[in-house]
Amino acid sequence: MDLANVDSLSFIAPEIVLTVTMLAVFVLDRAVRAAERIGDAVRGGLALALVAMVWVPHELDGWLFARQLVHDPFAAFFEVLFALAAMATVWMSMGSAEVRRMQQGEYYGLLLAATIGACFMAASANLLMAYLSLELLSICSYALAGFVRHDRGSSEAALKYLLYGGVASGVMLFGLSWLFGLCGSLDLVEIHAALVAGSVPPATLTIALVLILAGLGFKISMVPFHMWAPDVYAGAPVPVAAFLSVASKAAGFALLVRVLYPTMSMPAGGGAWDVLGGVEWPQLLAVLAAVTMTFGNLAALRQQRLKRMLAYSGVAHAGYLLMGLVVLDDTGLEAMLFYLIAYYFMNFGAFAVVGILHDHAGSDDLGAYRGLARRGGMLPAVAMAAFLFSLIGVPPFVGFFAKLFLFAAVVQQELYTLAVIGVLNSVISVGYYFSVLRMMFVEPPAADAGVVETTWHARTLHVVLLVGTCALGVAAGPILGFARYSLQFFSG
Amino acid sequence: MHPVVFGILSALLVLSALGVVLARSPIRSALSLVVTLFLLAVTFLFLDAHLVAALQIIVYAGAIMVLFLFVIMLLNLQEDPPVVMHAALRWLAFAGGSLFLFAGIAMFLGSAGAGPGLQSPADAAFGTTEAIAARLFTKHLLAFEATGILLLIAVVGAVVMAKRKLV
Repeated sequence: MDLANVDSLSFIAPEIVLTVTMLAVFVLDRAVRAAERIGDAVRGGLALALVAMVWVPHELDGWLFARQLVHDPFAAFFEVLFALAAMATVWMSMGSAEVRRMQQGEYYGLLLAATIGACFMAASANLLMAYLSLELLSICSYALAGFVRHDRGSSEAALKYLLYGGVASGVMLFGLSWLFGLCGSLDLVEIHAALVAGSVPPATLTIALVLILAGLGFKISMVPFHMWAPDVYAGAPVPVAAFLSVASKAAGFALLVRVLYPTMSMPAGGGAWDVLGGVEWPQLLAVLAAVTMTFGNLAALRQQRLKRMLAYSGVAHAGYLLMGLVVLDDTGLEAMLFYLIAYYFMNFGAFAVVGILHDHAGSDDLGAYRGLARRGGMLPAVAMAAFLFSLIGVPPFVGFFAKLFLFAAVVQQELYTLAVIGVLNSVISVGYYFSVLRMMFVEPPAADAGVVETTWHARTLHVVLLVGTCALGVAAGPILGFARYSLQFFSG
Repeated sequence: MHPVVFGILSALLVLSALGVVLARSPIRSALSLVVTLFLLAVTFLFLDAHLVAALQIIVYAGAIMVLFLFVIMLLNLQEDPPVVMHAALRWLAFAGGSLFLFAGIAMFLGSAGAGPGLQSPADAAFGTTEAIAARLFTKHLLAFEATGILLLIAVVGAVVMAKRKLV
């Protein structure tokens, strides 16, 4: 179906709810002074948006707003993921002393706008909407990273993010203009048709693709465009760092898959895909994936601060996720979607614990975790252990199944070198995750370390994410089935 | 657009863009940028995009650049000190840049005429205020609204950033 503007409105009900909530929050911030009220209003808005995402008719796929957006299971999958990520971020923010000192209305408003941008990014049907929504997400992220008042680190984070981001999006825009010039259209389906017709010179297309990869690689923190990640995560408020590491990365992957798969490749039957236009991007991505995970893991080994460590671990996980794109097969993409769900639970969980310690000790230094289990922080310590084991990929946690499916897809395509590099990297990552575990459980607490108190609010979040991390592993089959269902692209 | 006109225009554009990057004094950089934006407007004019050309001059070459110059003069920015860069890095940047430039030129020459055919001149309605308005409020309505949110958020973000004080 190809809907005009007015008929499309009901299909973007979730985004409309988010927009109205955003505007309401700006006004509400002036009217009520209680911080909790605003957080509750945002949570209500997000819950309503989630309900709307389920309510929106899913039987029919098609174009919305005269082919600006596309409505298909792939877009719906990411919309739900982004709304859940925003929900976890708001939950984390409401318990965070760091966020309580900030301008509440602006903080939550920017967060909601970032979510809207991410949703449109996953659903964009042409390059114009893709770029606009990418910028919407980016600009909100720049401001959110610099939200801590009176803090040099946070300002540095915002400035670095802005400068790197500006360059990356400029380079990407240049690449998009090449793609437009080569194919004569902004519409992804028409670009696909031009590539099928075979009138596009491969060498020029390669340059355009490399330029676009620079912009999207920045979003997913792929080496060599990862330089911003450690500084931004270290300076940004903890909930914002968590949002960036999950939602922003997933949005980058959503757009990357949309550009590389339904646009620049063609289904070859049996779940396999063929590359179009003579550009051998899978080889390029395979090298980038290997370099990204290796660099991320090696750099994380030397980190003494948890936020920087999780930033490099995020770089490494971007490398694992990229493996799902290399295999040119539906199994790889399914594994990637599954990995994103798993990553949501385990990474948000790890950041939630970092947030508790950040509020308690005022730092995310590894030393602050000394003897955490023995000074009142049993639940955070045990939860953190589960999240870190899951990030390593230890059974029975969900991270194990995520890695299993990913490596299985890679091995199935006989990309043994890549699979071996991936497994070796998982082994390297044990090194730095274990140093945190040792600190929490083995080392005795420092003499002057106070008792870590957690609010019921924080405990609820820990338990929810912990249950997700443990239980989704058991229910891996249905989740993978859901990922398979979500892997449907509408192309007319 | 006649190829000769296009050649002259783009040569001038590249020269003035180089001026933006290479000039030591911020004022000269900003003035070169005015020239670049103005020449871009002329290019739009030759491409039958009259409204876009007018907007380019009013908004960019006019309003935004005046603000730029105003800020530069208000802050009384001095000439940039010469950039200290590692020699190897400088050569790497130079090599990478020229490789990209020549590869790009070679590819464009090699693929001349391969792209989609462009009809020239455009039909009479192209680029008029009416045609642009019609597209803006029908085909690109969602993009238009999304830009609205983007600008609102940019203002909010700028205010948040500007209100803070560093201790």
